[in-house]
Amino acid sequence: MPQANVYAVASKDIVFESFDGEAVVLDLASGKYFGFSDSGSRVWQALCSGVGAQALAGSIAGAAATGATGLDAFIAQLVELGLLVPSDGTAQPLPDELAAELAAANEPLNVSVHDDLADLIIVDPIHEVEEPLGWPAVKQAS
Amino acid sequence: MPRVTLETLPDYARYLIAAAEDAALFPVTRKVRLPALELTVHLEPGALAEALGHAFVEAGDDQPGLPACRIFVGHPGIGGMPEPARWGDAHFTEHGFAQRLAGAGLRGHYFHDLDFWQVYDPQRRIGAQLMRAADAFPPWETGSPLRAFLHWEYGARGMRLAHAGTLGADGSGVLLAGAGGAGKSGTVVAGLLNGLDSVGDDYVLVDLSSSVIARPLFSVLKQDPKGFARLGLKDRLGSDMPLNWQGKHAFHIGDIASRPIPGTLDIVALMVPHIGAGGTSSIMPMSRRDAMIALAPSGIAQMPGERESGFRFFSDLTRLLPCYRLSLGTDPGEIAGTIADFLARGAS
Repeated sequence: MPQANVYAVASKDIVFESFDGEAVVLDLASGKYFGFSDSGSRVWQALCSGVGAQALAGSIAGAAATGATGLDAFIAQLVELGLLVPSDGTAQPLPDELAAELAAANEPLNVSVHDDLADLIIVDPIHEVEEPLGWPAVKQAS
Repeated sequence: MPRVTLETLPDYARYLIAAAEDAALFPVTRKVRLPALELTVHLEPGALAEALGHAFVEAGDDQPGLPACRIFVGHPGIGGMPEPARWGDAHFTEHGFAQRLAGAGLRGHYFHDLDFWQVYDPQRRIGAQLMRAADAFPPWETGSPLRAFLHWEYGARGMRLAHAGTLGADGSGVLLAGAGGAGKSGTVVAGLLNGLDSVGDDYVLVDLSSSVIARPLFSVLKQDPKGFARLGLKDRLGSDMPLNWQGKHAFHIGDIASRPIPGTLDIVALMVPHIGAGGTSSIMPMSRRDAMIALAPSGIAQMPGERESGFRFFSDLTRLLPCYRLSLGTDPGEIAGTIADFLARGAS
């Protein structure tokens, strides 16, 4: 089971846009990008809107129908990535339109992480910060 | 040596700009006409002054009443300019640094290896670049000088420097996006060598106010020695030029283009090149999500500050354009022909 029923976007540094129904999320602080599958995009959209995880679990069908365990794992991944945090807000119902889109999704729940900065530093080392080092550190080409 | 913290950062930025304005003498003044901007730079003779003379694509004289911005490039050897400060907080993040300055209406960047400061006041259109010494600048500055200031100035007006290549014909063109090594720069060179136009590789100015328009800023092209030889540039340009800090040959669009650089390209598609497995090139539709992830990270991460506005800008750009994956063949002429045919068909 997920640790909570309702979630919220983790911080104001988490921004997102939708492209033909597919979400791209950017963590402004780290510069990491996250690309969501079509079903993952709808789940992200629902969770960001305050839809309860329990309501989602009962509504998921089609390609995203991995069962409650799969949804829990997906939500746990989003929390671990720093995109969502548990909220004590009131659970909102899943809108019919979003439920229909979720049922029509073709891809399983998935979020991919894109941290291209290492590549960029090789091209041009305008540096990004390694937080644990405390200072801006130029990444070395591997 | 003074130390600057997040707390004192805005005051230090204002101090640097004031010190530069009050400095006794900057021996050289360079004026560059760029799209919708007249850039005046006060500095001293040397590599940066030389770079200002050849790195830009100057805009035409048909822009009356241009907004003007002034940048002072100095070091303590210029009377009145201070020693650059060091960062004094335990932690530093680009985003936190930029956010702090943005809250005070300022922009800035700090390269800690050299205590290299760039600060800009977009309201007054005045900026200062402070270095330890005349030659104490990051090696990439000569290829696209003062690009951070241009990024901040154009960003304040809703435009954006995109990290992308361009190719076009008859005024229409494509944006080529992707991380280093994907074949972007080689594609731009292949197109230029085979009759297509370009308004730049690496960084171009993009305006979304009416349609998607790309304008030239920097004229520099780069190729590693392998690509330089493969594209026939060794025979054309010679190989006695020194390699740049990346180990690449640096040359200019005008060195290989068959026509003058156009003032604009009306961008009709976003392409993400990759080295194909086959011998011929192909253009296949790709999702906007994947195109956005190819386009945005480098354009945002290589430019200090303005991360959220950049994300929104590149999102809008991606939604305005059809997006394609360009699988690159092995023959430069065939690659250029594939893109020329695509443009001639009307990007469909």
